[in-house]
Amino acid sequence: MLDFKLHLDDAVEPDQLFDLIIIGGGPAGLTAGLYAARYKLKTLMIEKSVMSGGQLVTTEWVENYPGFPEPILGEKLAKDMEDQAKLFGLEVVREDVLSVKLSGDIKEAKTAANTWKAKTILIATGSSPRHLGIPGEAEYSGKGVSYCATCDGPFFPDKVVAVVGGGNSAFEEALFIAKYARKLYLMYVKDGLIADPILQERVAAEPKIELIPNTVVEKIVYEDSPRYIQIRNQDSDEQSKLETDGIFIFIGAIPNTDLFKGQLELEGGYVKSYPNNGTSVEGVWAAGDVQEKTLRQVATAVGDGANAAFAIHKYLMFKKD
Amino acid sequence: MAMLDDKVMQDVKKALEKMVKPVTLELFSQAFECGYCKETHQLLEEVSAASPLLKLNVYQFESDEEAVKKYGINKIPAIAIVGEKDYGIRFYGIPSGYEFSSLLAAILMVSTGITKLSAEAKAFLDKLQKPVHLQVFVMPTCPYCPPAVMLAHQMAFYSDKVKADMVEIGEFPPLTQRYSVEGVPRTVINEKWFVEGAAPEAMLIAKITEAL
Repeated sequence: MLDFKLHLDDAVEPDQLFDLIIIGGGPAGLTAGLYAARYKLKTLMIEKSVMSGGQLVTTEWVENYPGFPEPILGEKLAKDMEDQAKLFGLEVVREDVLSVKLSGDIKEAKTAANTWKAKTILIATGSSPRHLGIPGEAEYSGKGVSYCATCDGPFFPDKVVAVVGGGNSAFEEALFIAKYARKLYLMYVKDGLIADPILQERVAAEPKIELIPNTVVEKIVYEDSPRYIQIRNQDSDEQSKLETDGIFIFIGAIPNTDLFKGQLELEGGYVKSYPNNGTSVEGVWAAGDVQEKTLRQVATAVGDGANAAFAIHKYLMFKKD
Repeated sequence: MAMLDDKVMQDVKKALEKMVKPVTLELFSQAFECGYCKETHQLLEEVSAASPLLKLNVYQFESDEEAVKKYGINKIPAIAIVGEKDYGIRFYGIPSGYEFSSLLAAILMVSTGITKLSAEAKAFLDKLQKPVHLQVFVMPTCPYCPPAVMLAHQMAFYSDKVKADMVEIGEFPPLTQRYSVEGVPRTVINEKWFVEGAAPEAMLIAKITEAL
């Protein structure tokens, strides 16, 4: 079944001063965009990917966002969020922010083609997949090592695949990849089984998936044929080779804060949270996965986005006086 | 039945309102031994009906030898996006899924002349001495792929030395082997050099420099 998705840049005049620039178009940024547009703030959202939604886009089904008793496709939810925000006047450009200037009254976000300027900035850059950091991982990234099931799952029809991780992402993606693969080993470290019970039940019901608990991956040896990964059982300390054609890694995320290092306070790599989604810099807010907090979900990102937009609205009203 | 539903068609029409100069879609098709020729043809019929500035020419891959040679087509379905001249912008395989955005972006770029290349990238391309062929392998379900395709197409548009193809790898299984594609996007530079993932402009330029 063919489908056709159209996501293009809005024609935005670059030489203007925005009230608010939102960097990152995931659920936090999109919600802030919706609220800010309704507050009649002149708002620009800069999203580096071709479509907004952030990690929603590579999530097949979303089942824990309220209001959708039937599971909703992540990309559909993302597209609907963007359409809704645009309805109220949010402008979106699809560019990669290369550097920012957060201090001063006029903030800047520089991309390859433009320097965008605004009175306030909302950081909603989310997070990226965490890597294992083991030999072979970087060398074979895109050549058997993957962090995106919807992108690369179809490359493993009838193949044997390892999925690493014990959280919701790993379990959800394993179920997706199992549609293609012949056999799937799902492995996680000691005390690493944190996937929701409902997902654990579904994985248990999928005959192609074999769980390998209490196990770390030590090495990816894909230059050899057959390809294998070296794993170690944490209870017995026994090492073994496991033949796999591909390995998918879902072991959490690292915040996308490189752009802001040295310009605002971070905590454990995340943007340090102040009340009302504020940051250590005046005129700069943060929302969603990028901020330091406990639960990173669509539902919490959406709340952060709304909160931040409200705070920004109030700040700008006060500034005008 | 139409390929594009009403909602998408509306969006296409709205996007194409920004067109300035005419653009021709040169489609290479064949009635047999071609996975998605028929669908690609229908898609382009629908897209080209959305703007008076868009024209569609259809060639037969097996018989229109002159056009095949002129546009350097080696597999089908193939689309060349041509404006005032042929910039070397190609789509091999149907631009469906996320790649539909790449198709519209290429049409708009050729029509308006607007790219998003940085001043540094333009300076690099101005100095190119040798030809550069970029093949970006994609899957229609890959949301990270269109930025890689669009960057390659922008370089082709800007520089006469660069030609750039989107290749939908699912339709050309032998190429999976030939270019050892196990993940997308994968950009192949002059047959031998590779970049994995949606490389930022500076990274692609560094790889091209290495390849030359």
